[in-house]
Order: sequence, then structure tokens, then C-alpha cells
Amino acid sequence: MKKAVVFLLFIAMSVSLVFGAGTKEQATSAGDGTTTIRWAYWGSGERVTISQQAIELYQSRHPNVKINPEVSGGAGDHFVKVDTQLAGGDGPDIIQMGGNIYDYASVLLPLDKYAGNLLDTAVIDPSAVASGTIGGKLLGVSTGVTMPALVYNKSLIERVGAPLPKPSMTYAEFRDYLMLLKSKLPSGVYPMQDIGVMSTNSTPFGYWTRYNGTPLYTAANASTSVTAKDAQKYLELFADYRKNGLIPPPDVAAGFAENNADSSALIAGKAAIGYLYTNQLSGYQAATTDELALMEFPGAAATKALWQAPSQFYTVNKDSKNADETVKFINFLVNDPEAARILGSNRGTSASASARASGASSPVDQKILDYMQVAGPHSSLETDHVPNDTEFNSTLFLIYQRVAFGQITPAAGGQQIYELLLRLIAK
Amino acid sequence: MTDLHRRKVWRDNLGSYAFLTPWLLGFLVLTLYPMFYSLYLSFTKFNIRTPPEWIGLRNYLVMFVGTDRLPKDERFLNSMVVTFKFVFISVPLKLVFALAVAMLMNKKLKLIPLYRTLYYIPTLLGGSVAIAVLWRRLFAGDGLINMILSNVFGAQNLPAWISNPKYALYTLILLAVWQFGSPMIIFLAGLQQIPREYYEASSVDGAGKIRQFFAITLPSLSPIIFFNFVMQMISAFQSFTQAFIVSGGSGGPLDSTMFYSLYLYIKGFGFSEMGYAAAMAWVLLVIIAGLTAISFRASGSLVSYGSGE
Amino acid sequence: MKTRKDQVGRLLLNAFIIALGLGMLYPILWLIGASFKPSNMIFTDPGIWPKVFTNQNYVNGWKGIGIVGFDTFFKNSFVICLLSAFANAIFCSITAYAFARLNFIGKKFWFAVMMITLMLPSHVTTIPRYIMFRNFGWINTFLPIIVPKFFATDAFFIFLLVQFIRGLPRDIDESAVIDGCSKFGIYTRIIMPLTVPALITTLLFSFLWTWDDFFNQLLYLTSPNRYTVPMGLRLFLDSSGMSSWGPMFAMSVLSLIPAFILFFSLQKYFVRGIATTGIKG
Repeated sequence: MKKAVVFLLFIAMSVSLVFGAGTKEQATSAGDGTTTIRWAYWGSGERVTISQQAIELYQSRHPNVKINPEVSGGAGDHFVKVDTQLAGGDGPDIIQMGGNIYDYASVLLPLDKYAGNLLDTAVIDPSAVASGTIGGKLLGVSTGVTMPALVYNKSLIERVGAPLPKPSMTYAEFRDYLMLLKSKLPSGVYPMQDIGVMSTNSTPFGYWTRYNGTPLYTAANASTSVTAKDAQKYLELFADYRKNGLIPPPDVAAGFAENNADSSALIAGKAAIGYLYTNQLSGYQAATTDELALMEFPGAAATKALWQAPSQFYTVNKDSKNADETVKFINFLVNDPEAARILGSNRGTSASASARASGASSPVDQKILDYMQVAGPHSSLETDHVPNDTEFNSTLFLIYQRVAFGQITPAAGGQQIYELLLRLIAK
Repeated sequence: MTDLHRRKVWRDNLGSYAFLTPWLLGFLVLTLYPMFYSLYLSFTKFNIRTPPEWIGLRNYLVMFVGTDRLPKDERFLNSMVVTFKFVFISVPLKLVFALAVAMLMNKKLKLIPLYRTLYYIPTLLGGSVAIAVLWRRLFAGDGLINMILSNVFGAQNLPAWISNPKYALYTLILLAVWQFGSPMIIFLAGLQQIPREYYEASSVDGAGKIRQFFAITLPSLSPIIFFNFVMQMISAFQSFTQAFIVSGGSGGPLDSTMFYSLYLYIKGFGFSEMGYAAAMAWVLLVIIAGLTAISFRASGSLVSYGSGE
Repeated sequence: MKTRKDQVGRLLLNAFIIALGLGMLYPILWLIGASFKPSNMIFTDPGIWPKVFTNQNYVNGWKGIGIVGFDTFFKNSFVICLLSAFANAIFCSITAYAFARLNFIGKKFWFAVMMITLMLPSHVTTIPRYIMFRNFGWINTFLPIIVPKFFATDAFFIFLLVQFIRGLPRDIDESAVIDGCSKFGIYTRIIMPLTVPALITTLLFSFLWTWDDFFNQLLYLTSPNRYTVPMGLRLFLDSSGMSSWGPMFAMSVLSLIPAFILFFSLQKYFVRGIATTGIKG
């Protein structure tokens, strides 16, 4: 009996120790006039360092404000955490958003009342402001822009003695170029990755529908202009490439999810051309010793089918207890010249034309700027996002794969894509 | 029952419950509420950002038969098939390897700790990104395995295992079986507990190694074999990490590696259909509970506990 | 007397074990090799041996994310895992003793309930658990991860220990009762010593699995100075920006070292249980 008591005492002690250790840090929450702002974003290495520098600069100017960064490695982790926190009523003050800002509209604070006073929107590109405006309300401040692009392995192409591609081509020229590459490349290396069989494949499809003159989604009347026949044409385009060996067969292509450099056919040296968003270029370039370069999607010059997408957004949680201070900080991040210098183009190429004119800080950034010089004039306003973006990506991917593996015909695939769009819009 | 006896039984029960208290408290406070909340969620439509909206049995109907608004969820049924295949192939294989290697490791060879560590390494690497990268590298069309098969064995026309819908699942089964370290360690612990005298006595009686295995090892180890079987089955049904990282979160190619838990995660956190995910969770629970109950029933005749049970 | 046949047999056994074991080694050799390659060559140079050797990955990787380094990450991981492992070992074995040896009303029912707690996929209890821990005020502390272990919520280990205890003959218990031993005395003096291999297994697995429990760490630890090693590793990868593959692989290698050390040092407890006929009085 005595032993039992001693034992239980030991347990009680260690439990209280654990509790004690945990709650000690809790006491730093406001009670002494300091405002604490929680900033949730995703990123690694360099981004964390420069964000911290920006934080420290701001805190040195505003000693009564403390900014707590809550960093997650990738966007996936970030959103799982933010979602759970929001469901628990515990969301951070600043939430970094990507293209999925539309899905979060109901939990974000409209910033219109700050525009012109705490938030200086006049110096930001109107298109950037517009991209953060959803349902008539300004919900997010753009951190910069990014554009879809085709990326090619310059070193590989030079090694096999093929000419480098022109930055702008028509579809016919593009196909000829791919055939030319195929004749020069060794077996096992393909001219282009099968960019339809990738996890973010809704972007190439989105591009193609713009090129085709049938945008994916129009928010104004909640409808799509894509028909089953249009979707079929897209599938047949790639079926043609596949038949002629211009893109890898489905089982080879499926081995490269293209989520990141570790699952990229381009980096693995299996394809000469791939696709990405310009803000991914530095990450990809860092994973290979070959030199990468950018070119447009075919047909952009004639149809202006490319677009500038906001890279990321700073948004404010609707339930934030320190909305004013939070908006002030966002204004600092986006507009303050010193902050801009620190943050650079890490979260996207600056949305301000003057900042772009002052030049790039690295060869990769220079390539992006050069690309945007060419592709900018070949762009038009971004199409509205299909509702339930994630599900669209995932199911489109599945349908595309079924066609690629020959399970269903392009006609049936086209029909399925059409029905998918209707279902997601109605959801 | 006399008064004295009744009081003794009462005190006995109280004493026993004292031992159970930590677990009971933990269950009631930390587990019961989340479980019931998730059951509630399964009858709602919940996109995390707005409060849950009651829709009754709709989630369950969509899973199995479809409603007038939504067709039957083929991807759900596919994930069940994929998972069942995975469980019923990988679990027995894993257990066989675990037991075989545990018996090997039970010897008094000099470098045994080193060997045991070697065989545990695959499990240590667990669900790391490194494993995903490596497995893709090994089983790609031009990967190491194919290179060995074609150069050493002269095989032709080898498929790209990991990206071919017909074979991708088997690479994951192989990954699971390769990570047999945990059940192996448990078998090892179990083997250690078999009194040496049993073997010595039977040797004196002239029993050979094989006889000893079936007469002593297997029966003494049967509670542990049962444990490993049930636990491996339960965890195989919930398998998530390896499928997630090897397929890049897509369950591909062609949903051939779309494990049930992976689809649940995608539905819950990816498509923001937490209600549906909760319904999936409860369906899985019922399935696992049913199979476990059957296992317990069947074990009555197969498993022998120490004397007096 | 060792015969020739014995010696050959022994040699073959050793050789076989080693050969099979080397198959297990390949991934870790690749990982170590990758950690010494420059980041931009890891995916283009497929062999194990680096064509270009660098130790920068370790130097840079250790710095972590600049504001917090891996020294903090390792410290946090150790605190969480050691506390969890010991709590599990103690509380799961008490509970297992109750289920395996004691009789009480409702035993079958509670045992079934305990088994059922293993069967619900954890992703769906994420949100309610988060809400609960938030109401307790435990967000951004180690509590949501450690405290459940003090309440034996890891039913895996309860079941494991139950099976081990049930394998012990009941007469040792009975002879102890005759000698005047209380329930608790039987537990500490007889059951616990005899289940040492199972307890060691519990310690080992608790430590390792808590170490790898990335999801809970991601949810509940919001300040970078509380982050653990797995979170630190994930911070190296960002698909929309720059991924630091080299440092990530380097730190992954380091992350395996505690596991190895633990595994090695616990080996000596994997000795044959005390012969049960020896326990008398």
C-alpha cells in the first residue's frame, strides 16, 4: 500500500512537471500592452530567413508589436494546419494564401475599408489588386505575380546538337520542333513531359481552353464554355503527341508526379521540356547542374492566352483580434521599399512595374523577367477559378490518365470532363 | 452471497478498477468526445470553413449506391478494393518474414545486435521522403530492379513497376513487407520469453528442430502471433504514409495506389469534405471491428495462453 | 566439441544473414551518399557514391531555418519522446495488468472498447481533438502530445502487454497471493520483471513512433522554437520555392542516429526472461 502511494506521488509529480513546462510559455500572451500578431505562411530556407529579417525590421520600428511566424514546410502542411485552426476558432491573423483564396472567401476579412489609409493600394498594380478582389471585396493583397511557362533543359538540347526553341511559337511550329528534338534525343529521353499527366494538370488544360476561346469558368453566370467536344480535342492533341513518341508512354509518365524537383522528369533527364510556374524556376534550377530556360506555351502570341497569376496573397483572418495592426504590417510587407528589398521576388515577381525595371538579383530572376517581357503582352486577364479547384485537379488527372492508358477513348474522356465541370460548378 | 463475500467482491472490483483508472479517464475525456464528434460529422456536410450542415445518411448513400444528385462514388469503392488487396497480401507475408528472421536473430551469434539493427533499418526509415525517392528509383522503368533483372537474368520487356497501374500496388506491398522490423522485434521479445527448459527437456526426449518448432515454439508464441496478426491487420487497413509519399499524394497511377486512408485524407483535407471523410472513417471502423471480432472468435481454439487460462 | 559440420553451418548462417541484411542496407547507404552530394546533383547522379563530395549539407542543414536550428529541434524531439516513452511503459502496463490478470465487472466490454479505439483512422478525430486541446489552452505546448500517454491512449501497447502477461503461467501469481502479496505487489514484483522484453519493446516503439508523429507535431506546435526534428525536415521542402535537398537528407541521416543508439543500447534487455520455475517466494 505504501509503495502504491509513493508510485502515485511520482506520477503526480511528473504530470505536474509536464504541465508546468508547458504552461510557462503561455504567459507571454498580451497583458503588457504588446500586440501579438500571428503570421502563418509556408516556405523554407531562404524565405524564412528573409521573412524574419522583415519581421525584425518592423518590430524595431514598432516596439509594441510582436509578430510570431508560424511556418510550415509546404503549402499542403500549411493548409492542413490552418484549416484545423480555423475549425477550432483559433486561426492566425495573417494567412498566406495561394490560388485557393476563393475557397476561403467566407473566413477572410474584407480589406476595402483600409484601402487608401492603412493599406496603400494606389502603388500596387491594378491587376494585382483586382486579382485579390473576390465578390467585389478586397480579400487579399498580392505578394507578386507568377506566370505559367514551358521550361526546357538548355544544356541537354545543346548537347544533342538541336537548335534552341524560340520563345514564342504556334502549335504547328511547336509540333515540328518536338519532332526535330525527337530525332536528336537518345531513346528513353522524350522531347516533352506528358504535362497532362501531372498533379497540377488543370493549368495546361486551363491554358488550352483559353487558347481555344472557351474559358473554363465564368463566375458572372456560374458556367463553363467548355463542351465535351472541346475537352475531346485537348485529349486528342496529347494522344497525337503520345502516338508519335513526342511525350512518354503513360506508364513512364506516371512515374513523375512533378510535385517537386524530386519527382520531375525534366530534372531526372528524361524529358527536354516540361511546364512550371515561373516562381518555381529557382527551385528547379537548384536541383540540377544543367541550365534551364523558359519559353511560352504555343499559340500565346496570337490568342493572348497566357495570364499573370498572383503568386500568393496576404490575407487577414475575419476573426483576428488585431485587425488594424495586422493590416499595417501587411502594408509594410508589400509597400515599404526596405521590406521590398529584403523580400525580393521570393514570393513572386513584384507586381510593380517600377520594381521590375530596376533589374534582377540573380540569373534565374533575370530569366523570369525576360520571359515576362515577352509573355506579358501575350497575356490577358486570368480566367475565374473553377470552384472546388482541388477536386477538379484530382479528377481531371484521373480522367486524363484513363485516356492515356487507353481505358477510355478521348471522346468518352471529353464527356467525363464536361460532366465533371458541371458537377463541380453545381456543388 | 453473504454480506462479507459481497463486500469482498465490491472491494476486489474497486481495487481492479484502480488499475484501470488512468486508461478509463483518458478514454472518457480524450477519446470518447472526438469519436462521437466524428460520428456526428459523418451525417453532415462540413467544409471546415463553415459550420457543419446536417444531411443525414447522404454521405453513406453516395459511397455505396449514389443519390439522385450524385453518382455512386467509384473512387471510394476502388479504394476499398485496393486496401483489401493490400491487407490480405502484405500482412501474411510480413508476418512470415518477421517470424523467420526473428528466429534467425534468436541465436547467440556474435554480431547479433548488429544484425538485428540491420533488419530493423527499413522500418527506421519509415515514411521519410528518402524512402519515396528511393522506391521510385528502384522500381522505375529504367530503375535498379529492372537493370538487375535484364542484365543478370536477361529478362526482356520489363514494365515500369511503380508507374504501371497493374503493378504499382505490388511495389507498395513490397515496401510494407520489407519494413517487417516491428513485428520482428515483437516476435523476438516473445521468443525470449519461452523458457529454455522446454527446449532442453524436449531435446533430452529426442525431439528434432522441426518437432520443437511445432510443439514448443508455435504454441508458446501463439498469443504473440495473434497479437501481431491483429495489429498488423488493423494498421494495414489504415495504411497511409507510404502510399501518400510514393504516389506524390495522388493515389496514382489510375488510383491503383489509392489506399482507403489516402482517399479519406484527400476527401477531408483536400476537397474539404470532412463530413464524407468522417463517414468513411466509421465505415472502416465497422469493417475492422468485424474482422477483429472474427479473429478473436477464431483464436479461441488456436491460441494457447499460459497454464490456467 | 565443435564438429566440422557445425562450423560450416555456422559460417553459412552468418553469410546468409549478412547477405540478406545488405539488401536492407541499400536505402540507408543511398541516403548517406546523398547527404554528401551537392543539392543540384542528388537527382541527376543516381549512384550511391557521390561524384562530388561535400560536407556543406551538414553545416548548412544544422542551422535549420535560420531563426531556429536543429539543436533546438533535437532537444524538443527528445523531451517529447522520452516523456512519452516512459509514460507509455508505465501506464500501458498497469492497464494491461488489469485486463490480463484482474477480474472486474465490465472487463470484456472495456477490453472491446479499448480495441475499438485502435480502429478509427486518426484524421477524422483531428478537428474535435484540436478544439478540445484549444479549450484546455494547450496549443503550442507539448501537452497535447505527451499527456495522452499518461492516460494509456496508445492501445497498441496495452494489447501487446496483455498478450505477454497472459502468456505467463498463473500459478506464480497464485503463489504470491498465498504469500500475502497485494495486487500491486504482484504487479511490481512479478509481472513487471517478467515482461521486461515487452516493456523494452514498448519503450523503444513509443520513442520511435512519437518521434515520427509528424501530423500531431504540425498541428499543435506553432512557434518555430518548439518545432521537432520531423518538422524541421519538412521545412526544407517547399514546392513553390526552393527546396534544400542536400541539407534535408543530411539532417535525415542525423535524425536516424538517436534511433540507432536507442536500439543498440536496448538490445541487452532482450535476454531470455528469468526461468519461471525460479520464482518462488
